[in-house]
Amino acid sequence: MKRDKITITIVIGLVCTILVAVMLAQFRTIEETDIIGIETSREEELRTMIASWKTRYEETEEQLQETDQKINEYKDKAISNDETKALLEEELNKTNMLVGKTNVTGEGVIITLTNNEYSEIEYTDLIALVNELKLAGAEAISINDNRIINMTDIVNVNSSTILVNEERIISPYVVKAIGNQKYLSSALSLKNSGYIDKYTSWGKTISMEEGKNIKIYAYNQEGKKGSMEFKYAKEVE
Amino acid sequence: MIFISIIIGCILGALIGINIPTIPYTYTKYLAIAIIAALDSVFGGITSTLKKNFDMKIFISGFFVNAILAMLLTYLGEKLNVDIYLAAVVVFVGRMFNNLGTIRRHYVEKITTRKIIAKAEATIKQANEQK
Repeated sequence: MKRDKITITIVIGLVCTILVAVMLAQFRTIEETDIIGIETSREEELRTMIASWKTRYEETEEQLQETDQKINEYKDKAISNDETKALLEEELNKTNMLVGKTNVTGEGVIITLTNNEYSEIEYTDLIALVNELKLAGAEAISINDNRIINMTDIVNVNSSTILVNEERIISPYVVKAIGNQKYLSSALSLKNSGYIDKYTSWGKTISMEEGKNIKIYAYNQEGKKGSMEFKYAKEVE
Repeated sequence: MIFISIIIGCILGALIGINIPTIPYTYTKYLAIAIIAALDSVFGGITSTLKKNFDMKIFISGFFVNAILAMLLTYLGEKLNVDIYLAAVVVFVGRMFNNLGTIRRHYVEKITTRKIIAKAEATIKQANEQK
């Protein structure tokens, strides 16, 4: 009988402990939640809010992915653009060299024509020389550092004045040519029929020397009529 | 003896309740239902004590099983999207009022019987003195 009473006492004490503890915890939770203010909006509202936020998040992520894809496409394009740009630049450089817009250097010959007491150098001599050099495979030619390009004119105004690229040049005329050294020199110095022999026999002073590092300057465009622009000629389609 | 244990239990419970961390808000609904079920059991226990048919096993099992069942029903209602916990609240609170009524009536009757007995005793005494 007494043992029963003790167990009842202990059990009831335990029950009270649990009940009061849980109640107090609940009170505290409710109070704190009140302070935060979630209590005001019901759970369903919160759920719908969460759902809407989720859909928004998903939409934004989709947009992000699309934008990423676009960025990647643009990057690819940019890379291919770079490639074409490099190719174009290479081609442009080649063309510039071919046209004579760049300073060039290489092996070749230097021919010096000088007026002497008996005969003067005429423009036809220079034209003939340039043609001979071109035939022999010269890649770049200049007369007194005036680059010979496809637009170059070699004319005389009077018997003593020669114009190259509209610039007056005077004796000595130094003609530089870059090309295969052997071909150039041998083409000019053929016995009897070669340029040097022929013109020397007509009493003109011509000397030739070979060089490993001949430098020829670019065509100087500034202030010239014969600049590299087409006003009248058009491409045929 | 029992009163002392109840007081000690309440104080201990208060100490524990103040010191344990707060419960996440989502679970407060379940806990509230459990508390109401437990309170119902307690009042039921008091009533049965007054009626002199208090059984320890029934009290303890009612205390815990009612609380757990109430929580489970609330969970089920949550899943079914039906507010079953409202029904649980109605039942428990109704029973609590019933029990409280019983307790009240018991004490009221006790007081009135005491008064009647006192009155009767007084009249008996008066009668004896007159004799």
